Amino acid sequence: MLLRSTQKYFNFIKSGLGIWLTLLFITIPALADEIVQVQITQPYIELHSGPAGGFPVIHVAAKKEWLTVLKRRTNWFKVETNKGVQGWVKQEALHLTQSSTGEAVKLADGSFESFAQRDVEFGALGGSFEGVPSMTVFADWVATENLIAGISVTQALGNLSENQFFLVRVQHTAFPEWRLSPYVTLGAGKIRTKPRANLVQSGDETRTSDLLAAGLGLRYYIAQNFILKLEYQHLQALTDRDENEDLEQWKLGFAVFF
Amino acid sequence: MEIGIRSFFLGLVCTLLSFSLFAQLSEQESEQETEQSVIQPSVERRDINEANIDSENFEFGMLVGVISIEDFSSSMVLGVRAAYHINEDFFVEATYGQAEAGETSFEVLSGGAPFLTEAERDYRYYNVSLGYNLNGETFFSDRWVFNSATYITLGTGSTEFGGDERFTLSLGAGYRLLLTDFFALHINMKDHLFNSELIGEEKTTHNIEYGLGATFFF
Repeated sequence: MLLRSTQKYFNFIKSGLGIWLTLLFITIPALADEIVQVQITQPYIELHSGPAGGFPVIHVAAKKEWLTVLKRRTNWFKVETNKGVQGWVKQEALHLTQSSTGEAVKLADGSFESFAQRDVEFGALGGSFEGVPSMTVFADWVATENLIAGISVTQALGNLSENQFFLVRVQHTAFPEWRLSPYVTLGAGKIRTKPRANLVQSGDETRTSDLLAAGLGLRYYIAQNFILKLEYQHLQALTDRDENEDLEQWKLGFAVFF
Repeated sequence: MEIGIRSFFLGLVCTLLSFSLFAQLSEQESEQETEQSVIQPSVERRDINEANIDSENFEFGMLVGVISIEDFSSSMVLGVRAAYHINEDFFVEATYGQAEAGETSFEVLSGGAPFLTEAERDYRYYNVSLGYNLNGETFFSDRWVFNSATYITLGTGSTEFGGDERFTLSLGAGYRLLLTDFFALHINMKDHLFNSELIGEEKTTHNIEYGLGATFFF
């Protein structure tokens, strides 16, 4: 038994290692990118010791000094001065610089315009599925400004049964230019319902059925690359029995876009 | 003697030839350079391209620890952790872990029939949490300083144990020590709450996990 579990953990670690190595190979070419340099146009810029406002200011770079941008974490940028001093500046400070062509640096992200140009959305929603807590994760591809296609996976765990379903969905919004915008969604997929282990004796067993879904929702662009989503879904499970099963779900959650 | 003179002249010729060849080559090169410099200047534009800034908002790593599974003693837990940093304060974290539950006190004392089969003793969980950072610095000595953060998390997920999957609430707290900008060590504690009726009547179980982790930012 010990051997079996050791073997299992070993395989687990091995697969984890594989992922890390893959990541390493992905990041190596990224390191070879060209250097980004900016020149300060305002009297000074403060360099913090870490990527957050709470970290102390460790250096002040003066006007006309050149900064090399090394990396970015959330809205903070790690920079190095000509003298080799490294520190973190926030995005607003980086906007006080100019590029080598003399153009003011203005990063496009974190605005409603960048939201309009997004390609993909990922998110998680929590809510209620037939009165039982449910969790949904989804990945969406923004095909046009009005149309989105994607998949979602939901798990709802109740006292009587466990439900898992996935949906391939399309989502349409008539007003993509609104910050708070309603949308409609249609989907199809499969649902798997498994009765609780202590109820198996009663004769129920795991069943899988086709699933159709229609929904109404609201999405709200919060800030940076964040969206808030509220959705109501009506689902129909096409069962083998005489009657189809009508189900409903409410969910609220957030998504990030890239 | 004659061979000596011959080889001297041969050497001289070779040197002269190579010189003239070199001169020709460098002439061609300088011609090319002047041609280029006639065309180039106006093309030399370098604007800031965001794609060239290496963005490190994702964190990925593994964790190892001990989980106390209520009524089923404590076991080693192994897991993976992925996080996305939204801003300096908030992050979203997803963790998956697995452990193998031990025996209840009753099973040990009575020596009777086990409550669960081997497969049912596998304990697996996942959760998605929202975390909040309390950023700070850790001073090991006057000159040995690291960025760090204490964080709290609140999340939901699922636990598979005893042949059932249960909706699970997880409350956590942790400490992240950034040894470099992209490598961090974690000490974390998490309480996984779910309802279970494995031991008679249904009750809310607290399954407290604590452990160590190592993560990379990328």
